[in-house]
Amino acid sequence: MHPIKISDLRFKYEEAQKNILDGINLELAAGKITAILGLSGCGKTTLCYCMCGIIPHIYHGHLDGEILLFGNPLHKMELSRIARSIGIIFQDPDTQLFSPTVEDEIAFGPENLCLDREEIAQRIEICLKLVNMEKHRFEHPENLSGGEKQLIAIASVLAMDPDLLIFDESLAQIDADGKERVKNVMLQLKTLGKSVVLVEHDPDNLAIADDIFFLKSGKLEAINITNKREFDELYKI
Amino acid sequence: MSKFSIEADIRSKLAVVLGFSTIAVFIQHIYVLSFILIISIAAALLFGANILKAIKTTRNLWYLFFIIVILQSIFSRSGQALLAINGFPLITAGGVLKGGEFLMRVSVIVFSATIISTSNSREVVQGLVQLKIPYDIAFMVSVAIRFLPLLRSEIKDTFTAIQLRGLDLKKIPLKRRIRVYLYIFNPVVAGAIRKARGLSIAMEMRAFRAYRKRTSFLKLRLSAADYFIMVFTLIFTSAVFVMFYYFNFPAGII
Ligand SMILES: Nc1ncnc2c1ncn2[C@@H]1O[C@H](COP(=O)(O)OP(=O)(O)O)[C@@H](O)[C@H]1O
Ligand SMILES: [Mg+2]
Repeated sequence: MHPIKISDLRFKYEEAQKNILDGINLELAAGKITAILGLSGCGKTTLCYCMCGIIPHIYHGHLDGEILLFGNPLHKMELSRIARSIGIIFQDPDTQLFSPTVEDEIAFGPENLCLDREEIAQRIEICLKLVNMEKHRFEHPENLSGGEKQLIAIASVLAMDPDLLIFDESLAQIDADGKERVKNVMLQLKTLGKSVVLVEHDPDNLAIADDIFFLKSGKLEAINITNKREFDELYKI
Repeated sequence: MSKFSIEADIRSKLAVVLGFSTIAVFIQHIYVLSFILIISIAAALLFGANILKAIKTTRNLWYLFFIIVILQSIFSRSGQALLAINGFPLITAGGVLKGGEFLMRVSVIVFSATIISTSNSREVVQGLVQLKIPYDIAFMVSVAIRFLPLLRSEIKDTFTAIQLRGLDLKKIPLKRRIRVYLYIFNPVVAGAIRKARGLSIAMEMRAFRAYRKRTSFLKLRLSAADYFIMVFTLIFTSAVFVMFYYFNFPAGII
């Protein structure tokens, strides 16, 4: 089953003139890394918001079409239920972390799901290990580097045990070393059978992707790029 | 600061702050206030609070307090005149005493509140939750506390951006400086609100308020020292009140 199946999705922000998403069709492959490319402002973040219910639950507008999350219509689900299947990691690490220690940060989601303490303890350990940040467990997230913060944001989302992870330009604000570490985690997630959506505009980060789509004029188009020249060609028009 | 500090539960810290503040608010007597001020500074140091840093971060608040003190000593005239113009008493002993009392009262509250800052926000929230305060309210308190640093970092970023463009705010005349402040006010607030909204989306996507209840990984436990602190604070506070109201000690000085 597809983690996400989108049919003829159209969306317009309330004050906007025209549809920012205008007939999106997508069948996401399970257990793979799918990259979505596109120029700045073309609607990548908007598409991510639709895929995880932030639109229409938090941001409103004119929404049309259907999104199925593991076969169930997304618009009928509550955000807290969607959050069990989908985790999203944003671009700015500072707007994702709000707890005084790394441990508290990771525990936040499982606490909301009412898991018992032993289970939460287990999840904290597993997730910290996965992102290789065990030794920072009792530190204040504020004192970590950008890449480390992003790893903690990932661990906190992973603690909810979602099947699909969406990274919305999560590599953009971190240094080269941090990028490598986060990309390694993405590959590990894939081996664990999780599906990954990777929103990007840096060709160097596409090597780990199995499928690549290009978002333009509100539509998605499957593409196949193997080198930098083809990539540059894509952005020319 | 000092290496030694008492490890205490947030709830016993709250008890201490509540006790001292209650005395400072209800007993308006310069001797009692001086005594409580010394005790609250000692307590803050014992709990490992960084008083100097607290004074620095609340610097603007203290300017305001000083202005209030001056106004209060001018407007409440009683006792011997210390400064008179044309025989009209401007500053009086009674007025200065009132101003001094006010300053001490807010000092007690601010210094004892620094004791709270030795616990992290998660512990404060959990303390309130274990005191049977609904999680939503407890959490709101911590979000409100978090919004201030957000605003501060936003202001800092904006000023850095301005200075990088070659405008040294310290060197331009006050009138133009105020214009700059007014100019950046909206973008700064908008930026802080945008960040706050980003945070709330991140929380919702981690199932915040999925259920009426939630579990908690952190469990606070009261130690013997905590019980001692709470009982001591209760006895101390009651003793001060009984001495003051029942035995009339210390007696009035004016
Ligand atoms: N909350 C909103 N209300 C109105 N317009 C918005 C909102 N968020 C984004 N937009 C507009 O929608 C367009 C697409 O934004 P976005 O999805 O963030 O693009 P991308 O992530 O590809 O850079 C932009 O032109 C932006 O100005
Ligand atoms: Mg975006």
